[in-house]
Formats: sequence, structure tokens, C-alpha cells
Amino acid sequence: MSNNNSFESNLFESFKKGDQAAFTHFYEKYFKRITAFCIQFIYDKDEAENLAQEALLYLWQNKQSLDSVNGIQSFLYTYAKSKCLNTIRHNKVKDRFKNDLLNIKERELNIEILNSISFDTLELTELERIIQESINDLPPKTREVFIKKRIENKKNAEIAEEMQVTLKAVEAHMTKALKILKTKLSDYLFLIFILICNN
Amino acid sequence: MISEILTKYLSNEATEQEIQTLFEWIDASEENKKEFIAAKKSCVMTSLSDLNSISETSVIQLKTRNKVFKYLKFAAVFLVLLGLGKLAFNYNQKAKYSKEIVLELADGRSEFITKNNQTKIVNNKGDLIARKFPNQITYFGKVHDQEVVYNTLKVPYGKKFKLQLSDGTVVSLNSGTTLKYPEQFGLNAKRNVYLTGEAFFEVAKDKTHPFIVHANHIQVEVLGTKFNVSAYPENPTVNSTLIEGSIKLAEAENKSNTVLIVPNQMATWQNNSKKIITKFVDTSIYSAWTKGDIAFKDTPFSTIAKIIERTYDVKIINGNSDLARQSFTGSIKISESSVENILELLKRDTPFNYAVKENTITITNIP
Repeated sequence: MSNNNSFESNLFESFKKGDQAAFTHFYEKYFKRITAFCIQFIYDKDEAENLAQEALLYLWQNKQSLDSVNGIQSFLYTYAKSKCLNTIRHNKVKDRFKNDLLNIKERELNIEILNSISFDTLELTELERIIQESINDLPPKTREVFIKKRIENKKNAEIAEEMQVTLKAVEAHMTKALKILKTKLSDYLFLIFILICNN
Repeated sequence: MISEILTKYLSNEATEQEIQTLFEWIDASEENKKEFIAAKKSCVMTSLSDLNSISETSVIQLKTRNKVFKYLKFAAVFLVLLGLGKLAFNYNQKAKYSKEIVLELADGRSEFITKNNQTKIVNNKGDLIARKFPNQITYFGKVHDQEVVYNTLKVPYGKKFKLQLSDGTVVSLNSGTTLKYPEQFGLNAKRNVYLTGEAFFEVAKDKTHPFIVHANHIQVEVLGTKFNVSAYPENPTVNSTLIEGSIKLAEAENKSNTVLIVPNQMATWQNNSKKIITKFVDTSIYSAWTKGDIAFKDTPFSTIAKIIERTYDVKIINGNSDLARQSFTGSIKISESSVENILELLKRDTPFNYAVKENTITITNIP
């Protein structure tokens, strides 16, 4: 872990000097994650990839303003968050439902959620660790279902076919995964909330 | 009941009816809303973790990639995959099925490019406009703008060819490609060429005369640099990959829809949504063909099959669903590999049976 940190710190130094290879490392590390973040608010993979791309380009253009490698994640997510907010506010999210009231309601909720998330550097590093651990701790099958869903954006039916299990089993794994993650993470998110309020 | 719908909602499987129920529940109390927000937030925050390192994708290494591509570092490479849209020029459907390379001159004459025919090309006035070598044609000279006329070169499946245009620009044409270009460029005009298929351009520098590749609904503009264009009619997208320099893509009918891309980026035009999306890629994959290689990175089998069809002039019918879902990474030297060699390699990862009859390869499940 500490090896990895010093490796990244070295890369960060080269990155600040304008080394494209170092930038590529960070690009590859964060592109899918930022996309996964955005897709949950704008529901369009291409659009989400565009925003992730834009965030990374913005990072490259503003590399001088960063002090440490830990700042990268905070920088990228903060940018992605504000871009998602703009996209929603400017009504650029495509309608998902026939009933427009549902579209409006969903956007309101998403704005509220986005506004409640802060990407402070220190907490973020800790949070990332906890999330990684929580996912790793999921039972293997549950983890597999969760990952197929989250990364590969697959339908339950496709996952059921690939894993040779019933649709019900996939749904059960998804419920279990979300329940475990919610328990582990909501405590922590609450903690962050307290930290921010006390500052 | 609600928690079940909530799960479905967060995993994008809820019906509109269920979402309506969920939203009514959220509106019912502040508590409910808090619970919903906490749930979605946990879900969103998982994007902070490295989901990739946990996921396993099935990919095989066919062969280590050749260092030879690295020279392309100094070339601006862009690749255009041409969609099913109408072609910008009229071309004879019959010639598409020709097994020889065909050159169509401005006056409508066409000739086969074979090893033995004449080495000089004259226009309808009898002026010498180009010299022809076994695998290349070199054009020269400039004309007044109003006199610009176009030639069209068609390269069939299984063949490749090289052109040097009258401005000095060198164009390598891949299998199954048609390029329409001015016989001689105009003195003051922009340098327009029209592409279906795939080509690698090394554009002669000339800032005052922008070089524009028209492909599908897209125009790719450069001022002078090297790049690769691939534009096949079976693809609903146009991809442009840049190695060095800078290129600008614009929708032909809506010039305000435009992007500038920087080295190592690929821009993708989508016929259906009319959007141009950009991302960073390993550009060597997209220019490997100019060195006689085929390279893949997480490339789906369907795309690989299409490349094999064009390169070897064969037809592949795939009846194996496992293979259809599989992606591969690696590279192949065309001159050293037969279609059978490639299939044997792929078989090691995903077992299948195949039969070759004339030029058709039929892939089936293992019984």
C-alpha cells in the first residue's frame, strides 16, 4: 500500500511537469470511476463518458493547481459533481419516464443528493478505503453480481444467463449487496456529515 | 415491498409504475426521503472504488505487440469508421465486387491497376498527370480551382494500395476502401477528399489550404500532419484517432457540432444520436494495419471477424454465441498468419469448431 503511494507520488511529480505517460496512469485509474459516478445522475453512458473525459482534460489543464496526489480524486469528483448538477439544471438529462412528473421528481432528488455530497480530500481517501473493503467483504457471488451490474451495466437477465443462475437469485444478490453496503456506508456518510458540520 | 422496489430502482430495473410508487413513498415523509437519499448515496459512492481491479475480464494475449508501431508517435493518426449513410459521391456498385484495384478517371474511363499496365496516366487533354508503380500511383501538378476534377480509387477486400496526391500527401489505402480525390488540387481551394473504408494519410503541410476528409456525415480537418482514417459502411459510427498534431471534426450539416482533439484521443461520431464523443485510447491499435499487423484491445469478436473478412477476403459466419460475446487483446502479423492460424489461436481461449468451404468459414459450437 505504501509502495503504491510512493509510486503514485512519483507519478504525480512527473504529471505536474507535464508528463503524458503519468497523466495516462491517472486517466486510466479514474475514467471508469467518474463515468460510473455520472451515469447514476444522467443515465446516459456516452454523456457520462463525455463528462469523465472533460473532467480529466480539466485536470490536465489545471495540473499546476494541485498540491498532492491525494488532491486528484477530490478535484475530479468535485468537477464531475458540478457538471452533473449543471446538466440536470439545464434540463439536458433525457427523460426516462412517460410521466413527466416522475422525471422532474427524479431530477429534484438527484440535485439534493449531489448537493449533499462533499469531496473533501482527507475524508475521500478514507472513504475510498472503506468502500473498497466493503465491496471486497461481500460474499463472492454477491460481489460478482454487484460488479457486473455496476461496471458492465448489465441487465439482471443477462447476469442470470452468464452466471447460470435464476433471475430471482440475481435479484436476491443485488438486494443483499445494496443492503450490506448501505449499512456499512451510511454510518460513514453520517460521520462525514458530522465532521463537516463541526468544522 | 418498498425496499424491494428501492433495490430495483437503484439497479435500474424498476418499471415506471414501481417508480411512481417509490416516489409517492418518498413524498410521504421526511424520514422516507432521508432513507432514500442515504441508499442512493451509498450506491453512488461505490463509484469511488476501483471496481476494475475486482472485475475479471476474459482476454487472451495473442502475441506481444510489435515495437514497430512506435514510429507512428510522430504521425497524427485518425481513424474514421464510416456509417451506413449515403455516400458523398456516386459510385458504381459493381466495382465494389471487383477483385482488382480500379481507378476511375474524371472523364468516366476506368482501368484496372495490375502489375503490367502502363506506367503513365494522362487526363482527357492528354496531359501527363501521374506515374504508376506496381503498388503506388504518384500524382503531380496544380490546376485553377474551376478545373479541379476528381479521380476515384477502389481497393477490394484482400488488397492494399498507396497513392501520392498532387500536393505530396501520401495515402495508404486498406482493404475494401474507396477514395475520391482531386486529380490535381486547385491553386486556392481547400483540399477535399471523400472516403469510405480505411486509409492512413500523411498530409503535406500547407496551412493556407486545409486538408479535409469527408466521411459519412463528418468532416475531419487538418492543416498538415499524418493520420489514419478508417471508414467502413457497415459501421454506424465514425472514429477518428489522433497520434500527433491536431484535428477538428465537424458534422457536415451542422458545423457548430464540432470538436478539436489532442494526441492519443479518439473522437467518435454516432449516426443515430448525432453526437461526437471523445476519449483517450492506445492509438497504435488503430494504425497497426499500415505496418501489416492487425491489433486488438478488448475488441469484440464481431469486429475482429469483420477485419479478418476484409484483410483475407473471406466470409465468416459465426454460430457460436460464446465467441460472439468474447473480446480479445493482442496482435497478428498478416504476412505470417493464415486465417486458420488466427482461428486456432482464438480457439485456445474460447473453444469452437469451424469449417472452411471455398472462401466461407462457418463457426459452430463444440457438440
